[in-house]
Amino acid sequence: MEKMMNSLLSWLNLTCEDTSPLISEMMDHRVSFIKGLKIKIHLAMCEVCLYYKEQLGIIRNLSQNLGREDFPVNINATLPAESKEKIKKMIEANK
Amino acid sequence: MNKQEIDANQWVDRYGDLMYRYTLVRVRDQGAAEEIVQVTFLAALQATHTYAGRSSEKSWLFGILKHKILDHFREIKKNRTFDLSPDDDQDPCEYDSMGHWKKMPKDWRLDPEKSAENQELTEKLVLCLDDLSDKFRQIFVLKEIDGVSSEQICNEFNIKPTNLWVILHRTRNQLKNCLEIHWFDGKKQE
Repeated sequence: MEKMMNSLLSWLNLTCEDTSPLISEMMDHRVSFIKGLKIKIHLAMCEVCLYYKEQLGIIRNLSQNLGREDFPVNINATLPAESKEKIKKMIEANK
Repeated sequence: MNKQEIDANQWVDRYGDLMYRYTLVRVRDQGAAEEIVQVTFLAALQATHTYAGRSSEKSWLFGILKHKILDHFREIKKNRTFDLSPDDDQDPCEYDSMGHWKKMPKDWRLDPEKSAENQELTEKLVLCLDDLSDKFRQIFVLKEIDGVSSEQICNEFNIKPTNLWVILHRTRNQLKNCLEIHWFDGKKQE
């Protein structure tokens, strides 16, 4: 009985190396029930992987926000003046 | 009907910088970004008759811009594969023989839900994006910045789904390491 329990535990018990790609994968598609359970068990015991999961969540939210049309990033980047002139001339010629 | 008019003479001054910045987040090369903005305005001029006035002039132009950026990615795809190849970087995170992290992820002490508006962190993310290889950057941009579905990315860029997970995992790990060094570790010293 004890032997069976131990083998069940070792089957359920993922390492951090096993869990890390699964945490990432979980963000992109649904994983199987068993996989999901294994991840949950590992995360319940491993604080460090929980931090990792949070970090990936933060990166995702930042990225989505970065994608907005009016997001004020690269605020100093402006279309170079010569490019603007060129485009204005092109617009004038093609109107 | 109060149809919005198009004023092409004002386009560059009104939207040029905004569109350029938007493109620069997605396409790191400045020359390419300038060209995409130019091509967008030209396409818009030729399509003024399709402008129905339902959306604002700005969102109409951004709609065209998004297509042109995707066209740019498609053009790159013609010359090389987007799928995982042997010369791609290995997982940037390392583990010991027991499968433990060699460098443990740290508690960033941020609420993931509230972190999106963090300007300082976003600026670092933009820098970290530029450290990625072209391929990884483009796939990450499509998936996470533009929210294109995995299926569409795999189909359009001929990537096997399992390889897409590997690419995204490595990219996220690289970004996480980069942010940890340039943002989190830096903050501790302040």
